[in-house]
Amino acid sequence: MASVEINGVTKTFGNVEVIHGVDISIANEEFVVLVGPSGCGKTTLLRMIAGLEQITDGEIAIGDKVVNDLPPKDRDIAMVFQNYALYPHMTVWENMAFSLKMRRANPGTITSRVNQATGILELMGYLDRFPRQLSGGQRQRVAMGRAIVRDPQAFLFDEPLSNLDAKLRVQMRVEVKALHQRLRTTSIYVTHDQVEAMTMADRIVVMHDGRVEQIGTPLELYDKPANLFVAGFIGSPAMNFIKGTFRREGGQAWVEAADGVRVPASADVAARNGEEVVYGARPEHLDVVAEGEGIPAEVAVVEPTGAETYIYGKLAGVQVCAVFAERYDFKPGEIIHLRPKVAKANLFDSGSGKLLN
Amino acid sequence: MRTSLGMRILVLCVHAVLLVGALFMVLPMLWMLATSFKPPTEIAVWPPQLLPQAPTLDNYTGMFVVAPFGRFFLNSLGVSSVATLSVAVTSVLAGAVFAKYRFPGRTFLFMLIIATAIVPSESYMVPLYIQLIPIGWINTYQGFILPYLIMSFGIFLLRQHVSSAVPTELLEAARVDGASEWWILGRVITPLSGPALSAIGIFAFIQAWGAFIWPLLVVNNQLYFNMEVGLTAFQFKFSADYGKLMAGSVISVLPMLVVFLLLRRRIVDSMALTGLKG
Repeated sequence: MASVEINGVTKTFGNVEVIHGVDISIANEEFVVLVGPSGCGKTTLLRMIAGLEQITDGEIAIGDKVVNDLPPKDRDIAMVFQNYALYPHMTVWENMAFSLKMRRANPGTITSRVNQATGILELMGYLDRFPRQLSGGQRQRVAMGRAIVRDPQAFLFDEPLSNLDAKLRVQMRVEVKALHQRLRTTSIYVTHDQVEAMTMADRIVVMHDGRVEQIGTPLELYDKPANLFVAGFIGSPAMNFIKGTFRREGGQAWVEAADGVRVPASADVAARNGEEVVYGARPEHLDVVAEGEGIPAEVAVVEPTGAETYIYGKLAGVQVCAVFAERYDFKPGEIIHLRPKVAKANLFDSGSGKLLN
Repeated sequence: MRTSLGMRILVLCVHAVLLVGALFMVLPMLWMLATSFKPPTEIAVWPPQLLPQAPTLDNYTGMFVVAPFGRFFLNSLGVSSVATLSVAVTSVLAGAVFAKYRFPGRTFLFMLIIATAIVPSESYMVPLYIQLIPIGWINTYQGFILPYLIMSFGIFLLRQHVSSAVPTELLEAARVDGASEWWILGRVITPLSGPALSAIGIFAFIQAWGAFIWPLLVVNNQLYFNMEVGLTAFQFKFSADYGKLMAGSVISVLPMLVVFLLLRRRIVDSMALTGLKG
């Protein structure tokens, strides 16, 4: 087990810089998720940690060792790939034993480690099968088993659940998390799915265009996103954004949106009177109130899921989504009145996108 | 009812045309086989008769008296086997490198290799012969086999196959697990290149087995003749011993026939893989 330090890491392909001076500190036994949209550099960063890509500038250390110039096999890491990367001409047993055979491990050691991993991942009975004879979930477990037998300092996961169907993805998410809790091996997990990030991570690194936007626990990112990008990326359904002008008068504050609509805001924000801002309110932080107590919104679509009700409509000229535990029977075209929970709302600078409160 | 009858007539017509075509294709082979069992008196008879009236094995036994055909057969087998192995090894080596490794000049080098496939072999046979003289490779096995050791089309085919059929993540997984590049080539890329290697192997074997112009040029010592060149022993200035010539041709074709019968499915798949006719 070991910590992983990423210091000022930069990556260029030709003349194009794709990773811009990234700094991340991953503690021993921590499960850190790198999340972001396609092309943000998360996989490139993971591959640099693995040694599959050269580092243009900066330093990566695993444990106490700087690994910039070490080949992948000498970094004591194990990687689980998106498409499993199982050797199709080898059985499950041979796939899992492969790395130990490469290191000329004792046959007894190989047998005991493979058996242990097989037991953890419930692969008994599949050891003589070839990858083509396994389901997607089974193949992914074999890929994880191949990583486990290495007993590495760190696990690297490159979108391992992307190729699975939705139901299996949920199941495997739980298995991966349970595995980490059992083995306590430092893990770096790459995904574009913010739900995976939120449910699995000890800490999340949100990346965008080769830069780190924010590092924090799932709830830190959810409650206090550092900027508009993080606010819009984390959370499903996404946060509602209303552009407007910040007004402060007496002890009151509000954001003046389109058509003069006043959206109540906290007065304890670092925003100047007249400053252009973006008001962010999560769908579950909108309450239905009586007329005159909130902002009128025209209902467009109502989605009852059973556990919750999703209401899509137009508020202050903006498409918004509101989520309620109650079962409202609103009709499309109906005018309802919504009031955001001021304490939960976030205010962002309109120009830089940074959080103001 | 009318449509069904019309369709049946159409199918019958198509079959009839195909049967005639098949007969045209197979008739020369049948004639060669039949003539190999005919005595000299029946070979040039008019009108020509397909089946021998008095079949004989004299042509088969006699051809080994006229020339060392056993040696010719073994030469063909040896040269073709070595050529097949060499083409397979060089194709997978070069093909894998071009497919999976980046280095300066890769594209230019690959284009250069492909360009050699455009040049017909007959155009460089004489310069090649002249180059072999000072190094003493005329009338030698190494001089014979040289042009058949590497096939640029094989490199192209393996490169295309490895690019598409061997995921790069497989190589990366092997590197993370501690495999050397040679191990990756031998135990990951090569096993996964089976279909392409089979295709190239078949083509390389056929090409080397049927070699005629080059061995005729480079060897004049009977000890190094292959079957194709050996058959010239039955062709004289103004005549030919057709019986023994046909017998020798049958023996020459026999290994190809056996290979085809055993591997016909793989050969058809290989042709589909390469997009070429045989």
